[in-house]
Amino acid sequence: MFQVISDSGCDFTKEEAGEHNVHVVPFYVSFDHENYLKEGVDITRDDYFDRLTNEKGLFPKTSQPSPQDYIDAYTPYLKDGKDIISVTISSELSGSHASAVIAVDTLKEEYPDRTIVLIDSRNASVGQYLTLKEITKMRDAGLSLSETERIAREILKAIRVYFTVENLEYLKRGGRIGPTTALIGGILGLCPILQLSDGTLSQLDNVRGKKNALKLIEEAMVYALKDEVENINFVISHIRSEKDAANFFDNVEKALNMKIANPISGIGLTIGAHTGPGALAFAYCKKYDTFLS
Amino acid sequence: MNNLIYTIGSLDNWFLFAQIAGVITITFEFWSYQIKDKVRYFLITGIGSFFWMIMFFAIGMATGMATQASLIVASSYSTIRNLVFHGIFKKNTAESKEKGLIFLLVMIAVALIAGSLTVVNAPAEVRWLHALGMITSISFVIGQYLPGVHYVRITVVFYAVVVLLTQTPLNILYGDFRWNIMGMMIESSKIISVIVFYIRYAREEKKPQIQLAKP
Repeated sequence: MFQVISDSGCDFTKEEAGEHNVHVVPFYVSFDHENYLKEGVDITRDDYFDRLTNEKGLFPKTSQPSPQDYIDAYTPYLKDGKDIISVTISSELSGSHASAVIAVDTLKEEYPDRTIVLIDSRNASVGQYLTLKEITKMRDAGLSLSETERIAREILKAIRVYFTVENLEYLKRGGRIGPTTALIGGILGLCPILQLSDGTLSQLDNVRGKKNALKLIEEAMVYALKDEVENINFVISHIRSEKDAANFFDNVEKALNMKIANPISGIGLTIGAHTGPGALAFAYCKKYDTFLS
Repeated sequence: MNNLIYTIGSLDNWFLFAQIAGVITITFEFWSYQIKDKVRYFLITGIGSFFWMIMFFAIGMATGMATQASLIVASSYSTIRNLVFHGIFKKNTAESKEKGLIFLLVMIAVALIAGSLTVVNAPAEVRWLHALGMITSISFVIGQYLPGVHYVRITVVFYAVVVLLTQTPLNILYGDFRWNIMGMMIESSKIISVIVFYIRYAREEKKPQIQLAKP
């Protein structure tokens, strides 16, 4: 059996990581741009988002795990004689994958008999989360490392991720939108509908008000999924928007006449630093067994 | 018949050219409001605006530029605006959207200044109509930029109606009914196209405003 490792761009909580046996390599976050805290280790989600919600004008910075962080994560499993499948956040969005590549190159000589499969998810947050869940299911079902890698890459090609944010200031700070767009959008109460596709973020639409944005995503999602109900996994993730997420999920479930287990998750600190509280993310992908040869 | 041939033969070539440009404008304007995709809409309406500008230029060559200068400026402004928006929506990046928004704000400012000057210089009894023209033209520019298929179509109808009432086609401002048939047809083509669009829209299968990829 191989070990599954991911950076914290996957949004797994400590409990979820334990439950699915995923080793999470944390990103770093900083409020003062000097002292960096390890996500989920030095600061919890609740503390982090409490500060973002209560301290206006607080915009944290994130930093990717270092190559040494990956070496420290990989080494114990390699020593135990385990192979590894390691998934990182999109290399278009972060340097985490580059750090992992350096770590793999460094460890290759020391552990020539072991295999580390490194996958650039070209995704993040809910997209990475869903993929990891499928990878752990494949591992637990006894699929080989190479078969798991093949199917994981297929899933990542097919996965769809959409999200909306409440506060445009975070997107502006992250350079995802310009200052004029943020200003006018803020005045008009615009909520962008964004998609993460092929590793990069782009805007699908702009709607007045979060309620309308969610309605639009809901209609579009039901339309896209209506013929695929049996074969899909679906997840909603959010930051301090539990009620919106639950309503959305209920509506989709009713409209598609389907039952989805554990559909609601939480956006982590890394992605949360770029979206701010109030964000909701949605992802769906085909189940791994639809890709079995 | 001989009279008709004589009449056509006596027309200035530039005037005939203006009529051809007008027909091309009608075709492109009508076509543009049948298109849902913003990128294609701006390209087609931009081409329509270009021929609209050519039409005014040709009329100017036939009848004298003094009367057409302001219309040539207005139609050039439309052409540039539509083609710039086409480029912005085609790129669809944060940078292009930011530039697009700044461009939109500049366009609104220009329209506000030009419109205000027109309102101020107009006789007091018809200022309200000029003000209405300014409001509908600015609404139309904003409507063009806003997402979705409805804003642009609703605002263009109001704009076209006001143009029909205030500009050359039905110059009701000073009791000078000139009956510019081509101008009337161009504005009417936009209104008719919107009506045709909504008839088609009502009949087609309802699809969500945004399309998400299938898994």
